[in-house]
Amino acid sequence: MRNKLIANDSWYNVETGLLDRRIFSDPDLYQEELKNIFARAWNFICHDSQIPEAGDYFRSYIGEDEVIAVRDRKQQVQVLLNSCSHRGNTVCRADQGNTRSFFCSYHGWNYDLDGTLLAIPGYEDFYRSDIDKTEWGLQKAAKVSNYKGFVFATLDEDAPSLEAYLGWVGRLGIDQIAFRGDIEVVDGIQKNRVQCNWKIAVDNLFDWYHPKVSHGSAMDIGIATNADMHPMNQMVILGEYGHAIGGPGLSEESQLKIVKEHGHKKPTSAYDRKEYTDIWRATDQARETLGPVGVRSRGHPNIFPNFWITLGGTQACLRIPKGPLETELWWFTFVDKSIPPEARREFVRGVSHIFGPAGLLEQDDGENWAHSTRASIGTLTGARPAVISMGQGHDQVVEDPSGQSHINTVVNEHGQRWTYRSWQEWMKADSWDSLMRNHSKAPEGKI
Amino acid sequence: MPDPVQSQKEMLTELSPMEHLLLQHEVEQFLYKEADLLDRRLYQDWLNLLTDDIYYWMPIRRTTTGRNTDSEFTKMGDMAFFDDNKDFLEMRIKKISAGNAWSEDPPSRTRHFVSNVKITSVTDTEITLDLNFHLYRTRLDSVEDSWLGRREDKLRRVDGQLMLAQRYIFLEQTLILAQNMSSIF
Ligand code: FES
Ligand SMILES: [Fe+2]
Repeated sequence: MRNKLIANDSWYNVETGLLDRRIFSDPDLYQEELKNIFARAWNFICHDSQIPEAGDYFRSYIGEDEVIAVRDRKQQVQVLLNSCSHRGNTVCRADQGNTRSFFCSYHGWNYDLDGTLLAIPGYEDFYRSDIDKTEWGLQKAAKVSNYKGFVFATLDEDAPSLEAYLGWVGRLGIDQIAFRGDIEVVDGIQKNRVQCNWKIAVDNLFDWYHPKVSHGSAMDIGIATNADMHPMNQMVILGEYGHAIGGPGLSEESQLKIVKEHGHKKPTSAYDRKEYTDIWRATDQARETLGPVGVRSRGHPNIFPNFWITLGGTQACLRIPKGPLETELWWFTFVDKSIPPEARREFVRGVSHIFGPAGLLEQDDGENWAHSTRASIGTLTGARPAVISMGQGHDQVVEDPSGQSHINTVVNEHGQRWTYRSWQEWMKADSWDSLMRNHSKAPEGKI
Repeated sequence: MPDPVQSQKEMLTELSPMEHLLLQHEVEQFLYKEADLLDRRLYQDWLNLLTDDIYYWMPIRRTTTGRNTDSEFTKMGDMAFFDDNKDFLEMRIKKISAGNAWSEDPPSRTRHFVSNVKITSVTDTEITLDLNFHLYRTRLDSVEDSWLGRREDKLRRVDGQLMLAQRYIFLEQTLILAQNMSSIF
C-alpha cells in the first residue's frame, strides 16, 4: 500500500484542490523528498553575519544531510558535509563556534577549513602511505552562493544559479529582510521540535485563515489585533519552482498615503508595528528595490522548500525535516545594525514574545500541526483528502507593467495550492533538467 | 566604594549557623509554596508573589566545544526564550486562562520540583538563590516534556513577606524537544 502511493502519479489534484493526506506521513515518500527536493533545491544555510571571521562555523542541515557552513582562510564560505570520509562520523558536534580545523573524534582524521584532508593518523605505519589524501577531503555542497548576505547551498551541481532559482519572487522575499538596512542576525537561534510533517508547517505560513481561531487567545489578551491577524486585503504572489508570498497587501492608495505621511521619517523604535511593517517601505528606494507591487506586499514569503520570512521581514524560520512525522523549527532574527541600542533591545524582546516555542502566537501552532499530521496515518482519516480549495477559480492574476504579477483577494489558499502543485512537480522530476522543462510557469489569468 | 558582591558575601558569613538554617528553611518553604500554586493552576496567586519590577529570563543555550563555552548561553539583550517583565507575565497568565489558548486547553498537568537550594547572597532586603529545578509536563494522552536546569532566583522581603524579584532560568536543553513552552517555570 505504501509503495503503491509512490507509484500513484497524482497526490495533489490541481483541478479539485484535493490533496492526498498520506503525503504527510508516508515514509517512502519522505525518502523521495530528501532526494528530489532537499538535495536538489538551494537551501538557506545561514547569514553572513553569523560567521564573520575565518574559522567561524555554523552547523545546519540540507534535508537530513548535516552540513557545516564555515569561513575559510581565504574568507570564502564553504558548506561542507559534516561526515568524516573514513567511517562517516561527524567532524563537528558544536552548534557554532570557531575552530582551526575539523578533527574527527573517532580515529583522528583532520580536515582544513575548506574540507581538505590534512592528516591521517598512521598514514605511513598503518596505511603504508597507500591512500591518496587528496581524494578523501570532506564532501562539499555542489554549489554555495550568497544573495545579499543570505548563504544558500545546493547538493545538485545541475542546479541553476541561486538568482535564477529564486526568481523575482524569491528575491523579493529576501529583500523584505535585506532592504531593512545593514542587517545582522541577533545572537541566538531558537530551535524546537514539533511532531508534524514539514509541509504542514510550510502550508501554515500562507494560512491567514487560522490566526483568528488558532491564535484567538493571543488576540483576546491584546498581543495581536483583529486587523493584524485577519487582514481583509490579501495579496498573493506566485513564483516559479514553488516560491510564493501570501498575506496582507496594501492598496496603491494606502501605500501612497504612507509615503506621504511617513516618507521623510527614519524608523526609530524598532518594535513599533507600523514602522516595522509599513514605514520602512515609504521611500523611493524601497519602491525601486522591491518594485511597485513588491513594496505593497506585506505577506509571508516562503523560499521553496522550507524557508519562511515573517511579516515585515524581521525574522525567518527554517523548517528542517526530521523524518515524516517530525520537524525542527529554527528561528533567525534580523536587525539593522544601526538602530539605537534601546530600540534593538525593545525589538529583540518583542519578537521573543511572538514566535519561538514560548512566543504567545507560536505556542498554539504546534499541537494543531501535530494532530493534522497524525490524522494522515489513520486508515480512514489518511485516505480522506485534505481540502485545499478555498477561493479556487474565483480570482484573477493581475499583470503589472513592472512584470510583478499578483493576485489581490481575500483570505485564500492560493499559496498552499501553489506549494503543493510545485512540490508534486519536484517529486515527479528526476533531475534539474526535467524539473526545468516540466515545472509550471507562474500562472496567468483566472486562478 | 565597597564591592557589592563582597559585602553581600560578608553578610552571608555574618549569619549565625542558626540564622542561616532558619533562612534556608524560609526560602525553601517559599519555593515549595510557589511550585504548588503553579501545579494547582492558581496562577493569580502565583502572580501575587511577584514584585512589580520582576525580570524573568531564559536565555538560549547552544552546544559549544569546551574551548567555546563562554558563548554557551546567549547574553542578556540577545535572543532568549523568555524575556519578560511583570506586565508580560500577566499576559502569559491571562492567556493560559483565556479558554482558547490551545496549548493549555485542555490544561497541561505539571509538577515543579526544586532542589539543591543554595543561598548565594543576602542583603537587608534581598536573598539570591542558586537552585536546580525539574519541571515535568504532560498533556493529552501522550505528550511528555521534561525540563531540567539551574535557576538564579532573587527573593525580596516586602512587608515581611518574601516575593520573587528575579528569575533567570538556565535550561539543560539546547534544542527544545517540546512543541512549545507554554508552562511557567
Ligand atoms: S571515522 Fe573519522 S577518523 Fe575514522
Ligand atoms: Fe500560527
